[in-house]
Amino acid sequence: MIDYFIDPILRAPTWGCMLMCLSSSLMGVIVFLRKKSLLSESLSHASYPGVVLGVAFLASFFPFAEEWAFLVVLIGAFGSSLLGLYGIEWLEKKGKVFPDAALSFILSVFFGVGIVAASALQGSHPSWFKQVQMLIFGQAATMTDIHIVIYGFLACFIVLFLIAVYRPLQAVLFDAGYAHSLGIRATWLERSLFSLLLISIIVGMRSVGVILMSGMLIAPAVAARQYTNRLPIVFFLSGLFGVGSALIGHILSVEGSLHWSTPESRFSLPTGPFIVLVSTAWALFSLCFAPKRGVVFRLARIFAFRLRCLQENILKYLWKKKSSSSKDLHSLHRSSLFSLHWVLRRMVRHGWLQKKCGSYELTGDGYQKAAQVVRLHRLWEVYLTHSLGREVERVHKNAEEMEHILTPDLEQRLTLLLANPKKDPHHQPIPDKYSL
Amino acid sequence: MDAIFHAEELNVNYERTPVLWDVSFSIPKGLLVGIVGPNGAGKSSLLKAALGLVKPLSGKIEFLQQPISRVRQKIAYVPQRQSVDWDFPITALQVVLMGRYGKMGWFGRPRRADREAAKKALEVVGMASYADRQISELSGGQQQRLFLARAFVQNPDIFLMDEPFTGVDLTTEKEIIELLKKQKQEGKTIFIVHHDLPTVEEYFDWVMLLNTRLIAYGPTSEIFQAANLAKTFGKMPTVFDEAASLCAKKMSGYL
Repeated sequence: MIDYFIDPILRAPTWGCMLMCLSSSLMGVIVFLRKKSLLSESLSHASYPGVVLGVAFLASFFPFAEEWAFLVVLIGAFGSSLLGLYGIEWLEKKGKVFPDAALSFILSVFFGVGIVAASALQGSHPSWFKQVQMLIFGQAATMTDIHIVIYGFLACFIVLFLIAVYRPLQAVLFDAGYAHSLGIRATWLERSLFSLLLISIIVGMRSVGVILMSGMLIAPAVAARQYTNRLPIVFFLSGLFGVGSALIGHILSVEGSLHWSTPESRFSLPTGPFIVLVSTAWALFSLCFAPKRGVVFRLARIFAFRLRCLQENILKYLWKKKSSSSKDLHSLHRSSLFSLHWVLRRMVRHGWLQKKCGSYELTGDGYQKAAQVVRLHRLWEVYLTHSLGREVERVHKNAEEMEHILTPDLEQRLTLLLANPKKDPHHQPIPDKYSL
Repeated sequence: MDAIFHAEELNVNYERTPVLWDVSFSIPKGLLVGIVGPNGAGKSSLLKAALGLVKPLSGKIEFLQQPISRVRQKIAYVPQRQSVDWDFPITALQVVLMGRYGKMGWFGRPRRADREAAKKALEVVGMASYADRQISELSGGQQQRLFLARAFVQNPDIFLMDEPFTGVDLTTEKEIIELLKKQKQEGKTIFIVHHDLPTVEEYFDWVMLLNTRLIAYGPTSEIFQAANLAKTFGKMPTVFDEAASLCAKKMSGYL
């Protein structure tokens, strides 16, 4: 395991992937918060023709300079995705094309040109074609120590830049119009952010590949957003998730390649898909299981709320009828037999109900609790008729819902506002709050 | 007259439609001014043009006889509440602290004094206990108070507020107006884009009636009259409408 970090051959791809993914996952937070995720997709695809043309240029004029290919790749990719960016802006502003149309237009045109140029290259310079092909899905295995230095430098630069302009950046991301009114020049910041975004895409391409690059930008940010409401921590977590998925994805692809290789044929799994799979799997997991925002916990809270509503409805019913069998309760409350029995058993256990001769009755404590529900229901009815002027016949249904929602704080405010009323609009008494 | 807010023959277009057409005015200091007109009358665009967020097609608009870039520090903009993403990962205190970013410059850090000022501003608008809340937890009225606190912390001479009372309960609205009247007594000038006609006479000293053209402006008691309101909220004369839209299309090369 430790070999992945220090072994002279293995360490370069490992560190390279981690540094690349660090830059892209940090820039991804910005793209994600600006709701421009599709832009990164278009820009990464738009870089491809530049790569191919750059390599073709090198192949034609400097056929022996293969070790400089990566530099040409960087420059070519930067140039062509910058062109793509201007193209998108031009289409939106001057061409009056809708943003999504402009994005997909640039994506397909540029990538198409890249593919055509690549096949031309395959015919004329087959050995160079591999350099280009590699960038479609990413290939980390051939990285060397010089890549660590370059990618490390870029990652450091991005981190330092983000720390330096953190505050203006936060202001522009949250409220661009206001930031402008303060004199924070959004255009300047935007230009530098776009340049950094392009650089991080291009750098990341080497390990993740053109096609999946936007997944690497967005997935860590999506995951990070699920765990926190603080922007600095979103950045930190996103970077952490990016680096983590790079490491795990890279190791998986190397181990997988070794596992399936035979002495006769070397088998090589591309790095990119593995990294992106790891990071998107983590994003998916986070969307489901993050404590506050995760879908699973939200469903659990919704379910718990439903059970509470059922419990309060049973309390209210028994408050009026004194006693009832579980069969009657089931016919009255639209709920599954299972959850009804579960709630009834829980209410007995908590001391709100007691079972007498097969039917349920409220305990003394249960009676108090039920009176409170009725109180909230009737208070809300009074509020609707007196303060909001709704007709008396139409307030019951709404109060059926609100009785489960009103908090003690809201109750107190209602009591104060309505001068602690004694009767509801249907001339029923409102149970007092302190009737022990 | 010593005008604090002044415009001359201002024209603003959004793509093919004119939003402000030949608008000229000068407004003195120390007033609470309502900018009133129907939807799409260019009220927000007037503020945006004044702040340099929208580039006018022609004419000029300025504060204190100076271009906007010189006086930014003296102006607090309160954008429409719906213009930002309230799910953004940021706390109430940090939003208020943004009011000081203009003075901090690019690489500045907030000092203790800035934090104290932000806390005080939250206290003034009655939100001291919400300082560390995530902004999505705030109600509509609280979000609006938050924006107001952010403007206060800038300590401006001029407030430009875009529909601060939409989605705000009546108590909050009255409280905000009281706070602003207090600011006015300290010599601040406040411009509010407003669309609720019944409260205009109660809130504002001056009023600007806007419907692409500036219909009238001046002291509320003189200007806020049935004839002017009919002009503002009635359909614009069709010939004017057509001519203005033709003009905009010609300018942007569609005709």
